[in-house]
Amino acid sequence: MTSTAQRTRPLAWALVGPTLALLVAFNVFPLVYNIASSFTNAELIGGEWRSVGGANYARVFEDELFAGALRRTALFVLCAVTLELLLGFALALSLQRGVPGKQAVLTVLLVPMMLSPAVMGLYWNLVLNGNYGVVNQALSGLGFDPPQWLTDRDLKFWSILLIDVWMWTPFMMLIALAGLNAIPASIYEAAQIDRARPWKVFTRITLPMCAPVLGLAVLFRATDALKQFDLVMAVTGPNDAATQTLSTLLYQVVFRDGSVGLGAAFSCVILVLVIALATVFTRYIDRLQSKDVLA
Amino acid sequence: MKWLRWFVVALYLVVATAPLVWMGLSSLKERADTISPHAKFLPTAEAPSDPTSPSFEATFEAYRELSVVHAGAQQSFWGHLGSSVLIGLVSTLASVALGTCCAYGFSRFRLPGAKDWLFFVLSTRFLPPLAVVVPVLIMYRTLDLQGTHVGLIVLYTVFNLSLAVWLMKGFLDEIPRAFEEAALVDGYTRGQAFVRVVLPEARTGMAVTAVFCLISSWNEYGFAMTLNSSGAVTVPAYFAGLQGNIEGMPWPQIAAGALVFVAPIVLFTVLVRENLLRGMTFGTIKQ
Amino acid sequence: MRTNSWTLSALLAIGLAACSGESSGENATLSTAANGTPSIKVWWFQWDPATGLQELGREFQAETGIAVEVQQIPLASYQEKVFLEFGGSRTNFDIVIGDSQWIGRGASGGLYVELTDWLPTVVDLATIHPRAAKYLCEYPEGSGRWYAAPCETDAVGLAYRKDWFEDPKEREAFKARYGRELAVPATYEEFRQVAEFFQRPDEKRYGCAMPSDRNYDGLTMGVQNLLWAFGGKWKDEGSNKVVGHLDTQGTADAIEFFKTLMKLGPKGCERLDYGQVLESFTNGSTAMILNYFAFFPGIQAQFGDKVGFAVVPSHEGRRVASLGGQGMSISAKIPKEQQELAKRFIAWFLKREVQERWITKPAGFTANAEILSSPAFRSKTPYNAPFADSVDAMRDFWNVPVFNKLLAATQRYVGMAVDGEMPTQEALQKLAAEKERILKEAGLL
Repeated sequence: MTSTAQRTRPLAWALVGPTLALLVAFNVFPLVYNIASSFTNAELIGGEWRSVGGANYARVFEDELFAGALRRTALFVLCAVTLELLLGFALALSLQRGVPGKQAVLTVLLVPMMLSPAVMGLYWNLVLNGNYGVVNQALSGLGFDPPQWLTDRDLKFWSILLIDVWMWTPFMMLIALAGLNAIPASIYEAAQIDRARPWKVFTRITLPMCAPVLGLAVLFRATDALKQFDLVMAVTGPNDAATQTLSTLLYQVVFRDGSVGLGAAFSCVILVLVIALATVFTRYIDRLQSKDVLA
Repeated sequence: MKWLRWFVVALYLVVATAPLVWMGLSSLKERADTISPHAKFLPTAEAPSDPTSPSFEATFEAYRELSVVHAGAQQSFWGHLGSSVLIGLVSTLASVALGTCCAYGFSRFRLPGAKDWLFFVLSTRFLPPLAVVVPVLIMYRTLDLQGTHVGLIVLYTVFNLSLAVWLMKGFLDEIPRAFEEAALVDGYTRGQAFVRVVLPEARTGMAVTAVFCLISSWNEYGFAMTLNSSGAVTVPAYFAGLQGNIEGMPWPQIAAGALVFVAPIVLFTVLVRENLLRGMTFGTIKQ
Repeated sequence: MRTNSWTLSALLAIGLAACSGESSGENATLSTAANGTPSIKVWWFQWDPATGLQELGREFQAETGIAVEVQQIPLASYQEKVFLEFGGSRTNFDIVIGDSQWIGRGASGGLYVELTDWLPTVVDLATIHPRAAKYLCEYPEGSGRWYAAPCETDAVGLAYRKDWFEDPKEREAFKARYGRELAVPATYEEFRQVAEFFQRPDEKRYGCAMPSDRNYDGLTMGVQNLLWAFGGKWKDEGSNKVVGHLDTQGTADAIEFFKTLMKLGPKGCERLDYGQVLESFTNGSTAMILNYFAFFPGIQAQFGDKVGFAVVPSHEGRRVASLGGQGMSISAKIPKEQQELAKRFIAWFLKREVQERWITKPAGFTANAEILSSPAFRSKTPYNAPFADSVDAMRDFWNVPVFNKLLAATQRYVGMAVDGEMPTQEALQKLAAEKERILKEAGLL
C-alpha cells in the first residue's frame, strides 16, 4: 500500500496542485496585503503609507458602525437562513409526496435562485416603491394603510431580508428534496410493516436521515448570507446606517471613503471570525462524512 | 393531508411567482405604465382611453430597446450579455475541471496535510469578496487585468473552486473504488482509469457543480462592479450602473433584460434537473 | 501540519507581494491612444449640460479636427467611477468635469493638472464669477492656485406648477384656508403652507419634493439650503472647527423643518435622488420641487407655460442656495500630448464667442460674470433669470481633500436624524465629533 501511495504521489500532487496554487495566490496575497496595510493609513488613491500602529483596530472595536454591521449581519444570517430552511423543507416535504405537475412546479419554484440579486434588488425597488409600487397599491386597494417598505427605518432591513428569503428558499427546497429522495424506500417499507404512525416516521426516519444534508445546506446558505452585498447595494445603498452589512460597510469604507487601511483592519477582524466559523463547518462535514448515518 | 400539501405548494407558488409574473408584464409596458399610480396588469392590444384603467397596451418595444446604449454605459445590453456569457461559461468549465481533478486527488490518494489543505480550500468560501477586493485590484492593475474578461474569468474560477472541490469530493467518495481497481487490473493506467471509468460515473456530480458555479459567476456583482467598471462589464454591473439615471430607470428594459438574462440559466437547470435532485446530498446519506 | 501549510502560503504571498511592489512603481510610462485622429474624452455626469457640451465638441472638431467625446455617467456612481480611474496608472478620460467638492482631493492628490500659470494666458480671470472661481476652480479657496477651468455654474432653485398656482378655484380655496393669496413661496414657512395645501394623497397629488437620497450627496444638498437659511452651519467661518458650530440650534431647526417637509411629499420622498425628484414633478403629481437649475430644461420642455421657476425660499431674511456646477480639470494621469490637446479644447471653450454659444445650449450656465448678468442670458429661458439671481446666494459643502469622508458621515447622521432613528441634537453632536476626528486625521485641524 505504501509503495503504491509513493508511486502515485506525483500524480496526486499534479491533480490537486493547480487548484491549491490558485487558491493560495488569490487568498494569501490579499491576506498579507491586508495585514500589512491594516497598520497604516493607506488610502485608495495615492499617498505614502504611514504606520499608525493599532489605531485602525482600535476604531474597528470602538466605532459603533462596525459593531452595528456585525450585529446586523448576524441577525440577517440567523433570520434568513431559519426562514429559508423552514419554508424550503416544508415545500420539499409537500413536493416529494407528489403534487400535480410536479416537474413544472419544481422548475418554476427554482427560478428566483437563478436570478441576479443585483438586478432583482433594483427591480424590487419598483415593486415595493412606497408611492406607485404594485404591492402598496394592492394593499391600499384592500383597505390597508401600506407600509413604506424601503424607507421606513424599522422596516427596510426586513424588506431586504424578505427579498433574500424569496430568492434562496428554493435552494433549501432543492437540497432538502435531494435528501428526501436519497432515503432508501426500504426503510419506509419497514416502518409501514411495523405500522409506525406518520408523525413517528417523520421524527424517527425522515428528519434524522435528512438532518445532515440540511445541516450542510444551512451552512452553505449561511456563508452566502454572511457576504450579503448585492441586495443592500441595490435597495438602500452602502451608507444607510439601518441596513449596513459587513460587505456594504467595507465597500463604503474602502471605495467611498477611500480608507484602505481601516478597511483592511476590518477585513482582518472578519477573517478571524470566518476562520473560526470555517473550523466549525469542516469539523461538522468531517463528522457527517465519516459517520455512517444509518447505523 | 393531501389537500393541505397541495395548498401549501399552491400558495407558495403564487407568492413566489407573482414578482416574476409582474416582471413579465413590466417588460411589455411603456415606461409610464410601469410607474403609473394605477397599477396596470391587463395587457391589451390597444391603449385604453381611461388613464386609470388597469389595462395597458402591450408592446415588445422594451425587448427591441435592449440594443439602446444608456447613459453611463458604452455598450448595449447585448454587448454586456456577451461578456457575461464568455466569463460565465469559461470560468464554470475551468472551475469544474480543476475542482474535479483536485477532488479526485483528495478522494483517492493519501496526501500529507490533506485535512489542512481541505480546510484551507473551504475557508476561502467564507471570506466576503469585499474583504479581498482591494489587494486583488492592486494585483490586477499591476498585471493589467483590470477591466478584462480574463481577469474576471480567473477570479470567478478561483472563487468557485472551494464549492467545486467540496461538491465533487462528496460525489467522488461515493463512487466505489472497486471500479478503478478493476480497470487497473485490466491494464489501464491511473490516468486512463480516471478518465474512462471515474469521470463517466461522476457526470451527475459535474453537472450539479456546473449549475452552481454558473449561477454564482453569472450573477456575481461585487467584483464585477469594482474591478470591471469600465471594461468587460457584465450584466449585473451594467444594470446597477443605470441607477440614478435622470430620465428615470428604464424599468421595462430592466424587466426584459432580467428575463433574457435568466433564460439561459433556467434552460441549463432544466437540462440537468434530474441530476440536481439525485446529487445534492454531499455524500451524507449512505445507501 | 497546519503551520506547515500556512508558512508555505505566506512565503508564496511574500513573493507575490515583492513582484507587485516592483512593477507598480513603473506607472510613469503611459500608453498613448494613437488611432488616427486625435481625440479627447470628457467625463461628466448625465444631464442636459453634458449634451450641450457634446454639441460644442462637434463644432470644435469641425474647426480643429480634434474629436471630442463627452461620456455621461449617472450621478449615483459617478464619484466611484472617476476615482477608481484615478487609482490606476492612466485614466480613461482626459478631461473630468468633477463635482465642486472634489477640487481639494483632485488638487492635493496630484490627480488634476495645475492650471495656475496657464489659465490666465487663455482667459481673463477677472471675467469669472468670483463664487465660481472660489468654489469650482481654486484650491485652497481664494489661494489663486487653479486646478480647474470654469465650465458650469449651478444652484438649487424652485420649480412649481404654474397652472395649479393660477387656478382660480385653488386660489380661492387657499385664501379661504390661510387668509392670504396663493403665491410663489418666498419663505420656507410659506413653502410649507403651500405644500400642505397641495398635499392630497387621495387625489395622487403631493406638495413638494427635494433631493434626499442617501447614496451620493442628495440629502446633504437638499438639507443645506435650509441649513444656512435657518442660521445653521457646517463649520466655523474662519477655521475648520466643527464642534460648537454644526451642532447648534440653527442646524437642528433646519433639520426639524426639513422633516416636516418630508411629510408633504409623495410616499417615500425621504429618499429621492435627483432623477426621482424630477420624476415626481414630470409625472404630474407634485406641486413644487427644489432641485438644481441645470436639471430644469427637461421640465420646461415638457410643461411649457404650465411651469414656473424661482429662487429658493428664505428664512428670516437669509437666502442661500446649494451650489452645484463644476469646473473642467485635466487628468494628471494621461500623456503630455493628451494634456496639450485637452488644453486646446478648454482654451477654445473659454473664448467669449464660444461662451456665448454655450448659453444657448440647454442649461449652459456659463461662469462668465458679464454674460451671466446680461439681458440676453436672463431672458433666454424662464429659468435663467432666477438662476442668475441665485448665483450670488450660492454656497458649497466642504471641498477639502477628505470631503468624501465628511460627506459620507453627513449623509449617514443627517439621514438618521431625518428618519427619526436618532434625536436630531444627538445626531448632530455625533456628526460634529466624527467630522473633527476625520479632519484631525487628515491634519486639517
